[in-house]
Amino acid sequence: MMGQTSGAKTEEREFFQRFSLQFRVQHIFVFLSTITLIITGIPLWCMGHPRYSWSTAVVNAFGDIETIRYIHRTGAAVLILVSIYHLCYTVFTKEGRREFIELLPSPKDVIDVTINSLYFIGMVKHRPSFRRYTYYEKFDYWAVYWGCVIMIGTGLVLWFPDVAAKYVPWLTYVLSVEVHADEAILAALALLIWHFYNVHFNPSRFPGTLLWWHGKMSKEEMIHDHPLEYYKKELAQTKSRGQKAEPQNGATA
Amino acid sequence: MLLLIAVLTTGVVVGEETKPKLGDIPDGSRSNFVHLIPLLAEPVAGKEPDQVHPDADPVLPFSTKQTCGACHSYDKISEGWHFNAVDPNVNPGRKGQPWIFADPTSATQIPLSYRKWPGTFRPEQIGLTPMAFLQSFGRQMPGGGIGEMVDKSENPEEALRSDVTGKLEINCLACHDGNPGQDMGGASGYSIQVIRGNYRWAATASCEFAYVTGSIKGLPNEYDFRAPFMSNDSKAKPPVVAYRKEAFGHNDWASFDIRRESPKQRCYFCHSNADVRDGKTEKWISDEDVHLSAGLACVDCHRNGLDHNIIRGYASEPNNSTNPLVAKASCEGCHFGKDVNKPTAGRFAAPTPKHAGIPPTHFDKLSCTACHSGPWPANETIRTKTARAHALGIAGASKSGEILPHLLYPVFAKGQDGKIGVFKLLWPAYWATMADGNVTPLAMETVKSATSRVIAKTAFSKTGSWPDLKEDDIAKILTALGSKVDEGAKPVYIAGGKLYSLDDGGKLASADNNMAEPYLWPIAHDVRPAAQSLGARKCEDCHSTGSPFFFGKVPVDSPVGGKGAVFRKMADMYEFGGPVYMRVNSFFKWMIIIVMTLLIMHIMGDLYRRGLLWLARIFRRQS
Repeated sequence: MMGQTSGAKTEEREFFQRFSLQFRVQHIFVFLSTITLIITGIPLWCMGHPRYSWSTAVVNAFGDIETIRYIHRTGAAVLILVSIYHLCYTVFTKEGRREFIELLPSPKDVIDVTINSLYFIGMVKHRPSFRRYTYYEKFDYWAVYWGCVIMIGTGLVLWFPDVAAKYVPWLTYVLSVEVHADEAILAALALLIWHFYNVHFNPSRFPGTLLWWHGKMSKEEMIHDHPLEYYKKELAQTKSRGQKAEPQNGATA
Repeated sequence: MLLLIAVLTTGVVVGEETKPKLGDIPDGSRSNFVHLIPLLAEPVAGKEPDQVHPDADPVLPFSTKQTCGACHSYDKISEGWHFNAVDPNVNPGRKGQPWIFADPTSATQIPLSYRKWPGTFRPEQIGLTPMAFLQSFGRQMPGGGIGEMVDKSENPEEALRSDVTGKLEINCLACHDGNPGQDMGGASGYSIQVIRGNYRWAATASCEFAYVTGSIKGLPNEYDFRAPFMSNDSKAKPPVVAYRKEAFGHNDWASFDIRRESPKQRCYFCHSNADVRDGKTEKWISDEDVHLSAGLACVDCHRNGLDHNIIRGYASEPNNSTNPLVAKASCEGCHFGKDVNKPTAGRFAAPTPKHAGIPPTHFDKLSCTACHSGPWPANETIRTKTARAHALGIAGASKSGEILPHLLYPVFAKGQDGKIGVFKLLWPAYWATMADGNVTPLAMETVKSATSRVIAKTAFSKTGSWPDLKEDDIAKILTALGSKVDEGAKPVYIAGGKLYSLDDGGKLASADNNMAEPYLWPIAHDVRPAAQSLGARKCEDCHSTGSPFFFGKVPVDSPVGGKGAVFRKMADMYEFGGPVYMRVNSFFKWMIIIVMTLLIMHIMGDLYRRGLLWLARIFRRQS
């Protein structure tokens, strides 16, 4: 989401560089580690629930549980490292700080949720005009924040119970078992249903987008999804050229 | 040694129960009293008891109620813990070891008790009459209680038969006879007589100077043990008593080696347990409880007065017992001297532990036994046998390590006091009827009429373990039992933590059910030396990856084959159900539901609007 938003003509279509390389690399590490954790977490969860007859079959289907656990912990280590890196990126880089501020919830998000909900049921004619990040993109970002804190925290307790038990009550471990599984279920459902719909499977994007790979967004998409961001950039360019920009669609600010 | 010669007149025995008797009030001497006394037989109703003579014809068995009761208030003693299980007014206190009815032929092991311990069933629920109960368990009961209620059986035939069998009176010798010849489990000893139904002769047979042969089985109901037996039935061999005449002295009085404090060997007959290692129960490889090794006797802690209201020894017992010493006899009582108004720590030279470096929360969450009792925990619990569950010490008892019931330990679980302690565990397995969610075990007679037709004899294990029970067998048995349960109820089978039943389509289904949860009872012995306590060397005894305390495996024992070994994690045995756990747990569960509902509604709203716009475009084009 690093805004190198310089306009560029590519095969007659104008593209904007929406996400920087740094951001895309972080995202790739996050989704690779998360998908690994979800897949390997399934047999590990089943191991802890032998009361269900099918859970043993799932464990057997995955094969050597020690290998699965090793892969799971490797994925966890990657997620921890990229989380730490992202914190440093947010604190120590200008780009990181700017993106973080853009991602902070604002009163406009509440208005946007309301307008968008009314739009869904046909009570208003136009979608809200979004800035650089929509409220649901902010939700995605902060959901990952929340998820990482919960999953890494509880995961470390499960990974190192002997260390945890020295400093916190045993209830922490018992709760960690439950919370880790619950949060994992929520994260997996939110990822597969919500996030994938918004970025890949909705009719505007289906069958998917490579935005996560090249970080570029077309002018049309920018105007449709982030008009205020687009006008902001256009205005900046126009000013720099001493010209005025005109609105190109009927979006409401 | 002080010699007490009990001078008895039969008049003392009858009609003066309320007055203290000769032996009820001690004179304070700490020495042993010699019991050179006349043996008295069970009297004819309304008459005085006859003295037993070794040369009489027939030779009568002596009655403990008459012989011992002449100087000690038998009725008062009958109120003691070992004899009062059938009294509904007695506080059952902490859960204890139940009587376990085990029957491999019907894949049954079910905990029974006359006490109201949660998780146990009353013997009559599975059709055990008083005599049937004694047949199964009287071998290791000291008499009294249900043993003296056979004449009050609801089964009229059994009540009538009690004239022949006699009552199983309290066998005082079972605990107080110090003679090494006291025969509780021998080939003609106490247990065998109980199993034969010779209740009247059981205490006599246990005595070192008496020998009993014969059985009441096959005798007519008119049989009179006081009269010479005359019968044409050559198979009928009534019980016959032979006393060793040398044991009788002046006036045919006999001498007993009676001990006020019961020797540990007497306690062990009913309270032994043995670990099954490599399929065997070798005693010599196990150490004894550290208290006994230090020279204490069982009765040093487990004390009682005349009322035999013996101290069980758990921390919360003062809430349930009137024994004046009960607060001082628990672990804390001797080692810390808590809960009393004067210093009592250090009784029997008990050291006061410092528990240096152990965070205090441990003492809030754990009972003393959690760290100090039972065998050192391994990655998986082990099988154990107990005297009462497996008839240890009785001639002819199976020595198989696989024989039912299957008991597991040490299991760390949460006790009734909310603290984690060490437990023995039994996975109940029984056939039952379920109505409105209530599960009630079926009578064994009903069960066996169905199981005997389905479970082939070839499926039985030679070791006395579970039969080879398949899910098809369960379905067939449940179908057969379907016609034998009340209308509106359905037959079910409980085993291995599951409840099996037939669904509406007649297909076998299994589900978790509280009634299938294991029965656990706390153990205190054997106590290990302090140096072998959990945490004595390092925190990692428990706080380490894979430590048995948290991560030990508890096998889910079941006769139902084909599913492979199933385990429960030790920590699951003491799941936290406190308010913090409940709140956090429900917060996350509701979070999943609410968040996903909102997100899916958002997606549906988006699709709905896109659909409307798409339709509008089509209509515009067409118009």
